[in-house]
Amino acid sequence: MRSDPSDTGGLFVGRRPGTAPVHYRALPERGGEGRQRMDRRLADVMLAGMTLCSISCWGPIPIACLWAGAQINYLSGSVSLGILTSFVGLFALLFGALKIMRSLDEAWILVRRAAGIDQRGGVLGRVFAITAAVCAGAFAIWFVLFNGTGSMVTPGGGV
Amino acid sequence: MGLLDYYKQFEGVPEEEVNRELREQAAERRRKALARVTTIDLSQTTWPELPHANIVNALTFTARAGLQRYPHLRGSRLRSELTERHNVPEGRLIVGNGAAQLLSAAARALMEPGQELLTSWPSYPLFPIMARRAHGRAVPVGENDTPLVDALLAATPQHNTRVVALASPNDPTGELLSTAELKRLLEGLPDGVGVLLDEALVDFADAQPVDASIELLERHPHLLVFRSFSKAWGLAGLRVGYAIGGPGSEELLAELEPDLGVSELSQSGALEALRSGAKPRERHVQSVCEERVRLTAALRERGFEVTDSQANFLWAAHPRVDGAELATRLERSGVLVAAGAGLGEPRHVRIALRDAAATNRVLAAVDKALA
Repeated sequence: MRSDPSDTGGLFVGRRPGTAPVHYRALPERGGEGRQRMDRRLADVMLAGMTLCSISCWGPIPIACLWAGAQINYLSGSVSLGILTSFVGLFALLFGALKIMRSLDEAWILVRRAAGIDQRGGVLGRVFAITAAVCAGAFAIWFVLFNGTGSMVTPGGGV
Repeated sequence: MGLLDYYKQFEGVPEEEVNRELREQAAERRRKALARVTTIDLSQTTWPELPHANIVNALTFTARAGLQRYPHLRGSRLRSELTERHNVPEGRLIVGNGAAQLLSAAARALMEPGQELLTSWPSYPLFPIMARRAHGRAVPVGENDTPLVDALLAATPQHNTRVVALASPNDPTGELLSTAELKRLLEGLPDGVGVLLDEALVDFADAQPVDASIELLERHPHLLVFRSFSKAWGLAGLRVGYAIGGPGSEELLAELEPDLGVSELSQSGALEALRSGAKPRERHVQSVCEERVRLTAALRERGFEVTDSQANFLWAAHPRVDGAELATRLERSGVLVAAGAGLGEPRHVRIALRDAAATNRVLAAVDKALA
């Protein structure tokens, strides 16, 4: 929650730290009402894209890398090569996804500002943290209840 | 505007860049402030600093205590403090609305219409005015090279002299009348001639003890000494001064007092100055004394005629540049001095003394004016 920038609570001589307004090089010319509405929708789409990208870091990308590693192992007969392939692929895809998300986050800020919202910071950190928590929870439920050792639902394991 | 350009215009300037710009703006402001040369006013003989905070507090206290009453008619507490300081009986010291008011009142009390007041010239411009107000006439003495006391003693019998008015140190020349010379004058004057000695600037003199003239009062009852809080005490706005007389002067002094006394505020400010303003006063008197020696020597090196001043200013003339012209040239460098034309001698200028920085400004301006 952003508090009134002029209300420093008596702790600071000037403005409360972190509450400085955005400085533009020139005053932006904002579009009409319709354009702003459209930008708001676009920002939501970008946020959804960031969320999907982030979720992929916690499931699809590691699984895909493990699958690729297993294929290499099968074709070459080398376990080490399979593991190496998995790790290299995992790091490349994770960092690639993070870079895409970072770019999306920066663009999302601009689109939100264009939509008439006083957007000062990005949302990437929060998206990453929330998706991590959700995915970790989902994995824990899947692992403990459906597939883990000594499952209560399917005793004897899901193998 | 293209699609990307439309969104790029919402990019904020990075914080580091904003801070760098703000720092550059602050540095530019500082550079301009340091480069700006403010005019320094050395045409006035009053002290430029604000009064000590204790004095302002005393004035505020008095104002809040109630100004609905009339003041003490005889300036009781201030008067007691002053009589104790100067070691004179209470009846022989009176407090007035500045030394100027007491000097004028003394001239009116002593002079009959048609009588004359002798004074050195150039001197305090009030002297001729107070002679006129007393329906008398001022006679300037000592305009040639004759020593002042000799000129006064020679002129006294030639005129219908009732009063000799002198300022020591003299404004605008700054010259001090030594105790020996004053004693010679007092002993040489005939009975019936009063001497009004204006010592408004005596606190700046270091050639003899400040109260040297007061010691002469016991043996010379026709001498009246006038002092002021306007100069060294820096309280010109309060209008407080006092006069001290010799034995038998009580009745005359009582005549000089303001009819309804000195204002309560002025009395309280002056009293507080005596009690807690001594240190700042000593500090700026010391500064004036040091700068007087330095500036006198520096101006003489540059070809100026400078009188031996014992006041908080110098009276200087340059052989090639008229006083008014020199004042104008100095003003172009941001230094205001008093041109001598208004003070009785057009060749000269009167330069008030302050601190080392002011002296440096004067010397830089003088060098530029003579270049």
